[in-house]
Amino acid sequence: MRSSFSTVDTTQLLKGVLDLAVLAVLKDEDGYGYDILRRLRTAGLDEVGDASVYGTLRRLFQAGLLTTYVVPSEEGPHRKYYGLNAAGRDQLNRAGKTWRTFASTMDGLLDERGVAA
Amino acid sequence: MNVATEQEAYLEAVRRALADLDPAVRDELLEDLPEHFAEVAAEGDATLTERLGPPEAYAAELRMAAGLDVATTPAARGLDDRVSAVLRRARGVVGAADRRTGPLLGYGRASEFLRMLAPGWWVLRGYLAAMAITWLTSDGNEAGLLPRLGGSTLAAALLLAVCLVASIWLGRREPTLASVPRTGLAIGGVALVLFGMVVFDKADQYGGGWNEPQSVSGNPYEYIQDVYVYDSNGNPLTDVSLYDQGGNPIQLGDPYRCQEAFYQAQAGAPAYPYCPNQQPYVVAPRPGLAPTEEPQRTELPLSEVPVETPGPTSTPAPTATPTATAVPTPTN
Repeated sequence: MRSSFSTVDTTQLLKGVLDLAVLAVLKDEDGYGYDILRRLRTAGLDEVGDASVYGTLRRLFQAGLLTTYVVPSEEGPHRKYYGLNAAGRDQLNRAGKTWRTFASTMDGLLDERGVAA
Repeated sequence: MNVATEQEAYLEAVRRALADLDPAVRDELLEDLPEHFAEVAAEGDATLTERLGPPEAYAAELRMAAGLDVATTPAARGLDDRVSAVLRRARGVVGAADRRTGPLLGYGRASEFLRMLAPGWWVLRGYLAAMAITWLTSDGNEAGLLPRLGGSTLAAALLLAVCLVASIWLGRREPTLASVPRTGLAIGGVALVLFGMVVFDKADQYGGGWNEPQSVSGNPYEYIQDVYVYDSNGNPLTDVSLYDQGGNPIQLGDPYRCQEAFYQAQAGAPAYPYCPNQQPYVVAPRPGLAPTEEPQRTELPLSEVPVETPGPTSTPAPTATPTATAVPTPTN
């Protein structure tokens, strides 16, 4: 029960920051859906759901923050790559600042009360 | 289970779970999933359901992450609902057209291609803005294709540079602007395009005006002012009249070119050349036909060729005084 509650908790947290996480892993290099998922998991976001990443990509694209293009591949299907456009980079910078402020506020709040890291 | 059919079945189940969505939105959402499932399937032996959970849960997650968690019900009750339903349908139609035309351009969607053209539009917008500024400050007198502010090319270059940089800067900032300035920008863009069409149309007419005299000219003899006739020995013929197949005198050139011709022209059929002493060149004789006297002729300066008063030395061959043979009797 305890562990399942904690899973829900992380999922809830992820929901708030998945946009930022996806924008961040696209900062230096464009990627296709599965590749982006792998980058997030490599970065430590194991809980991130396949469909969540996929849906987030669609939403960010609809919001005009991403560009997309199709790259033919010799083996397997053609891949749709996503990359940041100027608006996406702006959004990444702003949301990144917001998150850092929020995270340090939370850290301070927990530190004051002696909650273990 | 066959890998491909498992993927298809999973996709179909996800599609069913999203059945309440607008078809265009749903298709868009599912567009790249087959590719994605193929990647997931290639990763290991586990089935898609084992790896991704039940398709219904997958669909729910997808819907939520894509920001579509409020199920769009087709029931249209109020005016707002009806309007938004129409808008949704329109968006669906546009979206479908977007997807269909994309592959023709070599992209997933036409809008992706159009988005790449955006910087080009920014540059054009900057140029049009410079033109508009010039046009407004010169009360519409400046209709060229360069924004010559006050007639100065340097000012034109400066104005153009400023407008281009400003437009590009605006273009890059546009996605971050609030909706009111964005709408203003869009209206301004449309106005600039309309203005540009008017200016280009004007400039085009201006240019067309210059070409007109040449393009309408259908008569290849229009430039002819006078006619010079030479016989086979290279001797210029004078008082020649030309007639067409119906016996009508052929009137070429300008009969009033020279004083003498003025009086001849009154008589009827024009006698060429009008100005015999202005013959364009003296032709050397063909060796076999005129053996002895001719070489002297070519050495004579043009102005001294006594064609007007044909003497025995200058027109030695009898065929060189052609008035009798060259002029047929008009039949009318």
